[in-house]
Amino acid sequence: MTIHTLTIVGIVLVAWIIAWTFPSVRARQALLLAASYLFYSNWGLGFLSILIASSLLNFILGALLRRRLTSGVLWLGVGLNVVLLGFFKYLPPMTEAIWTTGWQLELARKIIMPVGMSFWTFQGLSYLFDLYREEELDPSLLEFCLYMAFWPVVFAGPVCRLPEMLPQFRKRHVFSWEDISEGSFRLIQGAFMKMFLAAILGAGIVLGQGVTAGFDEVKSGWGGLDIWLLGIGFGFLLFFDFAGYSHIVIGTARLFGIRLPENFNRPFLSTTPSIFWTRWHMSLSSWIRDYVFVPLAAASRNRRWPYAVFVIAMTLFGLWHAAKWTFIAWGTYHGVVLVFHRIGQQVKRKHHVKMPPALGAFLAWAVTFPVVSLGWIFFRANSLSQALSMFRTLFSPTAYTRLSMPLRFYVVVAILVIGYFVYEAASSILATWGALYKAKLSTSAKALPSGVPETNVIGLRLNTGGLFNFFADRFWWWFAPAVAVLAVFVAIATYRQSGSVSVTPFIYTLF
Amino acid sequence: MEEAQFREYAQRIIDYVVREVIGRPVELAVDTPLVSSGLIDSLALVNILQYLEDVTRMRIPASKVQPKDMDTVALMLATAQRVGKPRK
Repeated sequence: MTIHTLTIVGIVLVAWIIAWTFPSVRARQALLLAASYLFYSNWGLGFLSILIASSLLNFILGALLRRRLTSGVLWLGVGLNVVLLGFFKYLPPMTEAIWTTGWQLELARKIIMPVGMSFWTFQGLSYLFDLYREEELDPSLLEFCLYMAFWPVVFAGPVCRLPEMLPQFRKRHVFSWEDISEGSFRLIQGAFMKMFLAAILGAGIVLGQGVTAGFDEVKSGWGGLDIWLLGIGFGFLLFFDFAGYSHIVIGTARLFGIRLPENFNRPFLSTTPSIFWTRWHMSLSSWIRDYVFVPLAAASRNRRWPYAVFVIAMTLFGLWHAAKWTFIAWGTYHGVVLVFHRIGQQVKRKHHVKMPPALGAFLAWAVTFPVVSLGWIFFRANSLSQALSMFRTLFSPTAYTRLSMPLRFYVVVAILVIGYFVYEAASSILATWGALYKAKLSTSAKALPSGVPETNVIGLRLNTGGLFNFFADRFWWWFAPAVAVLAVFVAIATYRQSGSVSVTPFIYTLF
Repeated sequence: MEEAQFREYAQRIIDYVVREVIGRPVELAVDTPLVSSGLIDSLALVNILQYLEDVTRMRIPASKVQPKDMDTVALMLATAQRVGKPRK
């Protein structure tokens, strides 16, 4: 991050604080929009003009839809948005695939996609779909432009919806310690995930011995175990990177009282592929569900049609990332996995397969986790041929006799992955204990005989058993310094290895 | 929609959800959250939407329905009334 970018972020934050004091809603929205445009202009005025053009286009189409609900206007809006996105996102790679030389290639190379375009185009589309569904939305031009350009999310989501954002833009925010506390915690948590966990997994504890090198530098000769750990490792790398980014964005907005949609909810604990897709990149997966899957699947009563729609919707999901065969293969793979999951469910129900719930949940997770992890090979591979080569290795028994990665790679992936599951198990147990403790405390207070001072008994219990709750409720008090110490440690270690300290960009800003 | 008709439709949908979607005995009321609680997923949503068309004898355009409109049985029936058109 350059000094220039940091200055702009500083100005935007100050503008937001000033906007808080404005009694007029319109003045506050105008200042927030100006700050958002200033932030976005950091990537170029050309990009900003495209964002403004897209905002105006969708607002005008929305005004037409509000006047008269016709499918023609809706499809015109969908078409124009897809053409605009396609021109910047899909035309250059398609041109490069067709022409290897010539003016077409030169022209295509000059087309650069505006930052975050895939995200804000989908926000514009959801506005049109929501209007068509008779959602009562009446944004002013100012509010709609703010929704499209709102600076915390304009970069890489989460993909917001106007019905959730509009009331918040119109509300007079009041200072809240709860928002500050929650927002700070999310910020620190996100920074920790991105700058520590994702950095170590990607680059390795010794530079060049991480997941990135496993895909980019080892061209062939992987062992079977290497492929598994590269798939699992990249899944966690992407999770720490993108969920870390989401925490930072959600936390920043929360500092100012704005609640953004969540993007992740412990996805690696999912026990079925369909549950996984309600927990991974939730703002986009719910978009695909609401605006693609449900309308398309309900269009036919053929019992097999929804299966086809699973594949279509998930392929689109993959294609949304970029016009690359690897993403198309990743999306299609998940579509097929969802179909097999449905068929499996039907077979299970037909044959009345029953087992203890805990065993059933464990077995379901033990199938889901590897299946999802293997999918990351398509996502991360540099080409489809590399992905297929890795899959061939995976199914070759002789490949399990060799290892091609440095020892530190296996140790880092194993520690971070096992550490994540231990953390999740511990936090789940502690949350259950905390809830039980609070319930018992409340029951004891109610059961006190008359005349016994309530505060003494509760105070005693708090001293003995509530110490944990005190620290759990103020997690960020001690977590923040711990993260700061770790960050300094990582910075020093990185500096000693490479002579400079740099943070890799967030992966999803590439889409 | 009259009260008796509402109760009849609601009961038929509840029976369908328990029998065909959840597949085990569960206590469901007309205001039990189904989508937001994770009890039903996207495919079940589509099946319920089609069953809702059969029960109410209406054509309900899926493009006009959001998952939040189908979160409870009461909301499903309200949605059918709002956007549904009598079948020809």
